[in-house]
Amino acid sequence: MAYSEKVIDHYENPRNVGSMDKNDPQVATGMVGAPACGDVMKLQLKISDTGIIEDAKFKTYGCGSAIASSSLVTEWVKGKSIDEAGLIKNTAIAEELALPPVKIHCSILAEDAIKAAIEDYKSKHSS
Amino acid sequence: MNYFQIFEIESKFNLDLKELSERFQSIQKSVHPDKFAHGSNQEQMLAVKKSTLVNDAYQTLKNPLKRAEYILSLRGVEQPSEQASFSDNEFLMRQMELREMLAEIKFSDDIDASVFEMAQVLESEFEQLFKAMQVNLSENTAESNDQASRDLRKLKFYEKLHIELDKLEDSLLD
Repeated sequence: MAYSEKVIDHYENPRNVGSMDKNDPQVATGMVGAPACGDVMKLQLKISDTGIIEDAKFKTYGCGSAIASSSLVTEWVKGKSIDEAGLIKNTAIAEELALPPVKIHCSILAEDAIKAAIEDYKSKHSS
Repeated sequence: MNYFQIFEIESKFNLDLKELSERFQSIQKSVHPDKFAHGSNQEQMLAVKKSTLVNDAYQTLKNPLKRAEYILSLRGVEQPSEQASFSDNEFLMRQMELREMLAEIKFSDDIDASVFEMAQVLESEFEQLFKAMQVNLSENTAESNDQASRDLRKLKFYEKLHIELDKLEDSLLD
């Protein structure tokens, strides 16, 4: 199966790979996995007091499409508020990367990672 | 007729694999399409259909994870769609660690030893989950079946890791 140029670009030059301290109150961590292919994705967001995403890092073990989806998402969420980031849909990710139907679940994983990170942030700041 | 009924064996998770294989071979012989080479078109088609069904049934029951999934589906517990993400932070953190361990093997001074160690870690964690799933499947309550379904999804991650380890081993030995 041929990957699109954008997938290859993100795969060969992934943006924002790395980790942040998950215990930092400003850091939100979203972990998701896909049992079907065994992919594991970790997305971390650094969120300002005003709820703006200042930085994003990811670490993904999986196929090229999963890596490209998470790399793209780190670019997209930076500068957004957490509410705006929560509106990012997997269809937009899949469209941007021209993912074939069998790889749509990689974009779903990336969307779910954003949601999981936001949930983590909310649970950290609920009390 | 469900897959267990095809082989006339009890519908339970812990199977006698030797018995299953013997029944499979004897049934497969009786429905093998070659036997109907001189039969009517309809007979031939029926034989192909039966033979395929018996094959599918055997492949499903032979593999423990597929068998678990099949038993759960007979009990009305469908596995979530292949597309659904799995979120269990503690478990996924561990998967991340195991993936990192796997990625570091190629830098090891003693690759054989590292591969062996990794295989043992994977096996022991797989076994632990597998036993938990066995217990949950034999309890067969709504709650234990749900738990078994979660165990099964976790086991699939280990199955995948094992494949990755095999691939890595092959590539490093070349």
